[in-house]
Amino acid sequence: MTPDLSVEIAGTKFNNPILTASGTCGYGEELADVFNLSELGGIVTKTITLMPRAGHPPPRIAEASAGMLNAIGLANVGVDRFIEEKLPFLEKYDTRVVVNIAGWRMKDYVDLAARLTDCQRADMVELNFSCPNVEMGMEIATNAALAEKAVAAVKKVFPRPVIAKLSPNVTDIAEIARACEAGGADALSLINTLVGMAVDIETYYPRLTNNTGGLSGPAIKPVALAMVHKVYQAVEIPIIGIGGIADYGDVIEFFLCGAAAVQIGTSLFVEPTAPIKIMKDLKKYLSERGLRNIRELTGQVRTYQ
Amino acid sequence: MSGIVEEYTMVIRVFDLKRGYFRLTLAPFSKVRSIRPGQFIHVKVPNCGVYFRRAFSVYDVDRQNRSIDIVFKVLGRGTAALARVCRGESMNILGPLGSGFTMPSRRETAVLVAGGIGMPPMYLLARCLVEKGFNPEKILFFYGGNERGDLVDLARIRKLGTKVIPATVDGSYGFKGMVTDAVAEALAAGPGRVRMYACGPEPMLRTIDEMAKLKEIPGQVSLEAPMPCGIGICLGCIKPLREGGYTRVCRDGPVYEMGKVII
Repeated sequence: MTPDLSVEIAGTKFNNPILTASGTCGYGEELADVFNLSELGGIVTKTITLMPRAGHPPPRIAEASAGMLNAIGLANVGVDRFIEEKLPFLEKYDTRVVVNIAGWRMKDYVDLAARLTDCQRADMVELNFSCPNVEMGMEIATNAALAEKAVAAVKKVFPRPVIAKLSPNVTDIAEIARACEAGGADALSLINTLVGMAVDIETYYPRLTNNTGGLSGPAIKPVALAMVHKVYQAVEIPIIGIGGIADYGDVIEFFLCGAAAVQIGTSLFVEPTAPIKIMKDLKKYLSERGLRNIRELTGQVRTYQ
Repeated sequence: MSGIVEEYTMVIRVFDLKRGYFRLTLAPFSKVRSIRPGQFIHVKVPNCGVYFRRAFSVYDVDRQNRSIDIVFKVLGRGTAALARVCRGESMNILGPLGSGFTMPSRRETAVLVAGGIGMPPMYLLARCLVEKGFNPEKILFFYGGNERGDLVDLARIRKLGTKVIPATVDGSYGFKGMVTDAVAEALAAGPGRVRMYACGPEPMLRTIDEMAKLKEIPGQVSLEAPMPCGIGICLGCIKPLREGGYTRVCRDGPVYEMGKVII
């Protein structure tokens, strides 16, 4: 019997627990040249803002040990072009579409969510409170009261599930998680990138024009696991685990620590077909252990007393 | 869909071309027949701790053996590790990627300008032109480097029957000076209708780009940029466009019409 990989988040069924993380799969068009997007549980779009953004000047990406630093600067086509030109492309795929949105003030999030309300293809929105490369995002991400208000404001205008994406660059991620839950978030996704820096020892300049950037990739997986584990104990709503996932074992680890689904990000840059391989390996792992579905693994980590 | 594949190939040969240059043959690659000159492959370098793949223009293909050749110079950790791979080793490649060159018309003279490690796509372009019946006499293959040792596989290029014009900055071989000066001289001699193609270091490309604009010569340049993903999703390898905004070198390029990108 083939194990069941489907998961449910906020009443919405996903064919499998693998989503592609925001900012690592564009609007889906490019990855569609490599594999059939219907194979994915879901696709989280690049962050959409009200107005188009060109992003930061190059260099915007620097290689790091087991990962990378990025400061793209939320380059995107803006919500109008996204709805007109990008979203229709995803119509033909049997996968969930999560639209990631970011703003500079609370009203931006509300306006963006309102614009997406009538777009039925946008199954959910994910609030990017935590991009470390733009100033205002961080304020909501690090302030529990603001985060709660922002989630509540978006919930008022958007009729489908709302996910709050959390930053690891905070003192206590569980506090922010609880605030988002109190604001009405249907799910949480974590973690976004960790603030990092790299310097060229010849020129003395940082390797990114933004000076600092967000660290992602396998390097951050242990941090992400610890945070998912912590947040799982703090909230009731489902958690989508993100951070350095490269193979099926990583997915299992996130599930055990409390994730109900995962997002694959930076690994797509190195292994664009990673989701396909992971799915195959997950089925093998589950069937070898006689597990009927992946859902029952959520939160099953045993901890030392 | 699925024009791009990610698959394991085997290292068939490693040629030491001396002075830090190497030529690698990988096979079998299922998409070898669809590769166009100017396209590249993204190579996962084994056992060296670098995280990203490394992009290499396709230097040559063998459709029979479904093999691909790349030429590279050891410049960093990735290429150093690549120089150490052994015959029979397995290597994961992603491709074919990027845009290719558009062919010249039969009435034009194709001026190919290769600078240093920018030679590989120029070779494949010349080879494809010759195979398509383009008169090799009407292909001028300029190949520049700092010194003789930078001009690799000259004999192979000459075998195509094209006119090869080597240039070295130190004058150790061929034209003494910048390859762009050699090109300027040739263009001054009035070779008729010309289409230029160039790949090499940015200062060289900038000069060629300006030359093309000044003399109103059509053509294309192939750009280089560190490419994390190679398929257009990371937005890391961007260059500014003259018309404003940015372009992704891996997906929208690496081959661009002259004058389009601010080099």
